[in-house]
Amino acid sequence: MRFDAMTDAIGDTPLVRIDPAVHGLRHIDLYAKMELLNPFGSLKDRAAWNMLRPLVSPGGTVVELSSGNTAKALAVLAGMHGMRFRSVTNRMKVPEIKDLLLLLGADIEELPGQAECLDPTNTEDPLTRMYQQLGDGGYAHTDQYFNELNVDAHRHGTGPEIVKDLDGQAPDYFIACVGTAGSSTGVARALRQHNPDVRVVGLVAHKSDFIPGIRTIDEAHAVGLFDPESYDTVETITADDAIDGLLTLVRRCGTLAGPTGGGAYQGAVRHLRKIDAGLTERKTAVFIVCDRVESYLSYLRDRRPELFNRPPRAHDVRTVDAAEAKILDVAAAERWVAGRRGIVVDLRSPYAYQALHIDGAINIVDELFAELLHGGLPFSRRQPVLLVCPVGEKSAKYAALLTRMGHPEAHSLDGGVIAWRDAGAELVRD
Amino acid sequence: MTLSLSPRINEFVHSVLGETALLGRLVEALGSPLDIVLPEQAGRNVAAFRAVHAEHRLGGRIYFAHKANRSSALVRELAAGDAGIDVASLGELQHALGAGFTPDRIVATGPKNAAFLWLCARTSVLVHVDSAAEVAELGELVRARGLPPVRILLRLSEFAAPGVRTAARRSRFGVSPDGLESILDLAGKYAGHLEPVGVGFHLDTTALPEKAVALEGCLTALETCRRRGLRPWAIDAGGGFGVSYLADPAEWDDYTSALTEAVLGRRAPLTWNGHGYGLRNEGGTIGGSLGLYPAYRQVTGPAYLDQLLRTRAPGLGRPLGELLLDSMVDLHVEPGRALLDQCGLVLAKVLEVRDDPGGLIVRLDCNAGDVSTENHGVLMDPVAIPQREGPAEGAYLFGNLCLESDLITRRKVFLRGRPRAGDLLAFVNTAGYFMDFGATEALRQPIARKVALFRSDDAWQWCLDDQYWPLHRETA
Ligand SMILES: Cc1ncc(COP(=O)(O)O)c(C=O)c1O
Ligand SMILES: Cc1ncc(COP(=O)(O)O)c(C=O)c1O
Repeated sequence: MRFDAMTDAIGDTPLVRIDPAVHGLRHIDLYAKMELLNPFGSLKDRAAWNMLRPLVSPGGTVVELSSGNTAKALAVLAGMHGMRFRSVTNRMKVPEIKDLLLLLGADIEELPGQAECLDPTNTEDPLTRMYQQLGDGGYAHTDQYFNELNVDAHRHGTGPEIVKDLDGQAPDYFIACVGTAGSSTGVARALRQHNPDVRVVGLVAHKSDFIPGIRTIDEAHAVGLFDPESYDTVETITADDAIDGLLTLVRRCGTLAGPTGGGAYQGAVRHLRKIDAGLTERKTAVFIVCDRVESYLSYLRDRRPELFNRPPRAHDVRTVDAAEAKILDVAAAERWVAGRRGIVVDLRSPYAYQALHIDGAINIVDELFAELLHGGLPFSRRQPVLLVCPVGEKSAKYAALLTRMGHPEAHSLDGGVIAWRDAGAELVRD
Repeated sequence: MTLSLSPRINEFVHSVLGETALLGRLVEALGSPLDIVLPEQAGRNVAAFRAVHAEHRLGGRIYFAHKANRSSALVRELAAGDAGIDVASLGELQHALGAGFTPDRIVATGPKNAAFLWLCARTSVLVHVDSAAEVAELGELVRARGLPPVRILLRLSEFAAPGVRTAARRSRFGVSPDGLESILDLAGKYAGHLEPVGVGFHLDTTALPEKAVALEGCLTALETCRRRGLRPWAIDAGGGFGVSYLADPAEWDDYTSALTEAVLGRRAPLTWNGHGYGLRNEGGTIGGSLGLYPAYRQVTGPAYLDQLLRTRAPGLGRPLGELLLDSMVDLHVEPGRALLDQCGLVLAKVLEVRDDPGGLIVRLDCNAGDVSTENHGVLMDPVAIPQREGPAEGAYLFGNLCLESDLITRRKVFLRGRPRAGDLLAFVNTAGYFMDFGATEALRQPIARKVALFRSDDAWQWCLDDQYWPLHRETA
């Protein structure tokens, strides 16, 4: 495989059979269209390139309302063709993707949240206003929610590839998530050309859920390419479904799918299980794995923190009782400090420490201090210490932990730096 | 299919709604519409905010944003507790002082005229200043009249986030952090007359990330103050903590989906004259955006504050609550709507019920200014008193003004059981902004009288709002 440009590597993704032992369907062969193997990481590479190709003009600026994969693909493509890329969005909720876009050189702007004190006369939404600005700005606007070239990328690419890989047959069922509706609409058109009886299932996010890349049913109605007639049924998936499916794909199927790939798998199996029970002949079904898992670690961490729990570590501050700490009140602490009896360790953030601290104190923020203690005492047992935090609660816990670790002279400032300030004791800046 | 939007009602309000005879007599005696306020609930709401401060070990005041309701009973009840008050006009300041708020518990916000500034300075309340011009005006006033020094908070706006730019809504109020040095220079000219004690903001947004950026921006601004030798100890995070109005998220989801379909013409209209609440049908695709307050919200009020404090500062990386505590900064807040959650209702009398081809018509003796939920984009069903039996019917609620637009809501409301003339409809949870904020005497229609309801001797007692003093409870 030798190419002149990365754009030539877009498309021709594998169609891979999911092991029946995993999905448990007895009469249906379930295949995944591995769009995550596109060069920039998602099915949007096809649409992005198909829409941008006629607009390429070096020196120009490409604009799109996108929160994720389209923006990523367009940013890369713009960079390859000497163009700038600008994205406006109110949906960018995944921090890794934001950072990636900044890394790719994209210029992104987020729209503000909804007003708390609503002005009902202001019905012009920010997106509409943005469209108006684009209209006369001389930008290359790819307009993914309305652009038929988005659909065509899949009608002439993704769809026919599936038919070819199924030996010239369309599958009996096709299941896909709906974002711009480009992929599901395009593939459905191609498949129905071969077999008008293909059953097409569109998957949208549950209304109270957020699944990055796809829309809720109400949001789908605001998409120009979305036509409910394109689907035999539109079903709902939750973020939980998406994550359950993602875990199955990444842990058992060698497929590093993102949440919508997981959602498509879960939605497909749920839909097909009901049909499977009544079947006597073999059927085939295809779903799309849209993109990769790596960009969604924080999304997963927020929703399933237990997946990321590390085993308990040594010297954990959560295991001690603050009552075991040696305490110094402000007056005693002032004498301790004035007599230079040891080091003062200020556990607050560097920002707060630099603003004002006890003279002579060193700053080790609590998160870092906890990290150091996992490895053992970071100073000698002969070195007396006075720990300081805002109100004396955290410092007491750490002092108790140091005592348990065998340190004979670890103290905590009672009432913390706030008590110290309120007693009129000296605080300095450097 | 009926599309209910059942209001969230706590036990306390539930018990008020059960007093059908009392409510009927009150409307008979005092007229329709009638505002009912529940001062004790406001006290409980303050306690819930306090608990968040305590949980995060933070100091600072819960200032009630008076603008949300004109009631004396609510303000006097809060004066009896440990809340502060945020006043935004001369009249509100006079009212707060007269209700028992001492100046150390008052902050003045919003646009101010000379008389307002003078009374602020004369009584030594904290002034949240909006602009350089206001700093100069206040400084001159204090100097020229020989008044005691005034503590000021500098209101900031247009905070910049690290990483991705946010196109924040423009604000009429506050100076950008870039302008901080020059406004401090100006305040410095009035040293001895003006004492900057902190900075603040009020952002009109439901979005937590924007508030996180603002809070961190304030921490940065305090550092700027300290570098100049000032010792400010306070950040005022304004209001905007929100209220969840509905009991059931599924009802909200169903309603908004149905509205979308109705706008697209896929089902019968759900609104008067096909009003779309901001949505438009653009050739089969939805255009515009839904101009409605998110009536069901998962995290509001004290829980919203808690979540904000647990949010990591976008730049400094540490949770904002810990950064504030580390820095020994007091966090003031100015909730209006959230402090009045479940604190009142508006009663309106049914004048006429008739059938119309488009649905039932229920004409009420009140207008859209008396129950201004619609004007604030909040959709929730009224509670019928008494509750009649019968199938649900879609009804339009007409007001008492001779205006085509005077509908209490343009939404068709599905009432369980057909009300009769003389019945009451209770619009619950309207104390925050929907009661008297927009009420007018147009057409010489009366403005609602206000009544305070409170528990005493194990029963509901009432008095006129301006007769209420927080004395009915036995002292422990
Ligand atoms: C991760 C992910 N999944 C699914 C989709 C949906 O694809 P389409 O826009 O073609 O409907 C998108 C589109 O943005 C996406 O980014
Ligand atoms: C300065 C200020 N503080 C507080 C509030 C109260 O806001 P909310 O009622 O949304 O809490 C407002 C509302 O307009 C305000 O302008």
